[in-house]
Amino acid sequence: MALITENTRKEVKDIVYNFFADECEVDIKDIHPDTNIINDIDGDSLMFLELIEIFKKKYNLDIELKTIGKYSVKHPVQTIGQLIDMQLLIIEHENKLLELDH
Amino acid sequence: MSQKKLAFVFPPFASDYPDDPFANLTGFDDCFRKFLSRAAEFADPDLIQFAIPSKTFLEDELKTQYISYIQACSLVSWFHDKGVVPAYCSGYSMGIYAALFQAEVISFLDGLVLIRQAYKEIKKATGKQEYGMCAIIGLNQDDVEQLIQKEKLNLKLAIQNSVCSFSISGAAGDVTKLTESAQKEGALSTRVLNVSVPYHSFFLKDTAGGFSEFVNQMQFRSPKMPIVSLVDQEILLEEHALKNEVVRNLFTSLNWYETQLYLQELGVNRFVECGSGKGIVKNARFIEGDAVSYTANSFTELLD
Repeated sequence: MALITENTRKEVKDIVYNFFADECEVDIKDIHPDTNIINDIDGDSLMFLELIEIFKKKYNLDIELKTIGKYSVKHPVQTIGQLIDMQLLIIEHENKLLELDH
Repeated sequence: MSQKKLAFVFPPFASDYPDDPFANLTGFDDCFRKFLSRAAEFADPDLIQFAIPSKTFLEDELKTQYISYIQACSLVSWFHDKGVVPAYCSGYSMGIYAALFQAEVISFLDGLVLIRQAYKEIKKATGKQEYGMCAIIGLNQDDVEQLIQKEKLNLKLAIQNSVCSFSISGAAGDVTKLTESAQKEGALSTRVLNVSVPYHSFFLKDTAGGFSEFVNQMQFRSPKMPIVSLVDQEILLEEHALKNEVVRNLFTSLNWYETQLYLQELGVNRFVECGSGKGIVKNARFIEGDAVSYTANSFTELLD
């Protein structure tokens, strides 16, 4: 389990904001925690998957995609803020993510 | 391995049309309209009405296949006029017809003939059975196959796009069931595709006889460039291999993941998706290697 520091939070937020600004060709100033990824900036599930891969590599995470998928069924992500929260949980708990629901 | 090789990839028929997919291609619209006009005269007069976003024919699979083919051939012509010729080409699914046109194996009109005949054979083979396809992202191949087996679903894996992205064909009801169980299993995305045909699966095996007979009567010229098969990643150079590819493309599973890796082994480091969408470009992020994939629009920016 990794410890989430303020620095980690900032790093994750910066990566997510820059990623969507680049991929969705929107101004980073137009991205906010309550921005709806699909409806507001035309994002898609492949982008979500790519972000997971970016974080897996960056933090050397041991997590299976389907663990994230199962967690997402119970905790669907719609906004940028929710996505950042989920990425932080993934970094913190890796493959034990599902145990959070027990 | 030589460097800086370019490959054109011809995508399957469109499931949607972005507003202005060829905005950077000066003069493309005139080029497209010429091809469209010939196709309308030859294959279906309705095609001339095609316009984004008002009349795209997305509810009609055959017309959509025509439009995607016409767009792809127009791109071939437009790039050719700019002096851009790829080292390799490959046709993803129904993109095989445009790949044949790119390599000058068939004429533009012959491609329309092949599309029409293939569709006729498909409809004959499927009869009144209800079929469909779905896309599953986030599970590996074993996971998907185990779900199909466990629930005794009448489905087959049709296309592999990456280690965790697949298209599946089969009975329409089972397609829906699979998307539901795949979500429970942890798929990050599942989607029933807007098609009524179980492409690239043995459900279309009965197309083989009739379509093979038809294709064998056509004249195929020697390819002016290598075409790489999505079925077995072979380079198709001989007439019989090209004809066989067109026939088996309908009922054999495809593997874009292995095909892109193979093209990279051949030295390709730039891919251009020659269609209106960007599915292949997006998928490329999940394929190993340093190759860069472009839409026709983004690649054109590099030409200036």
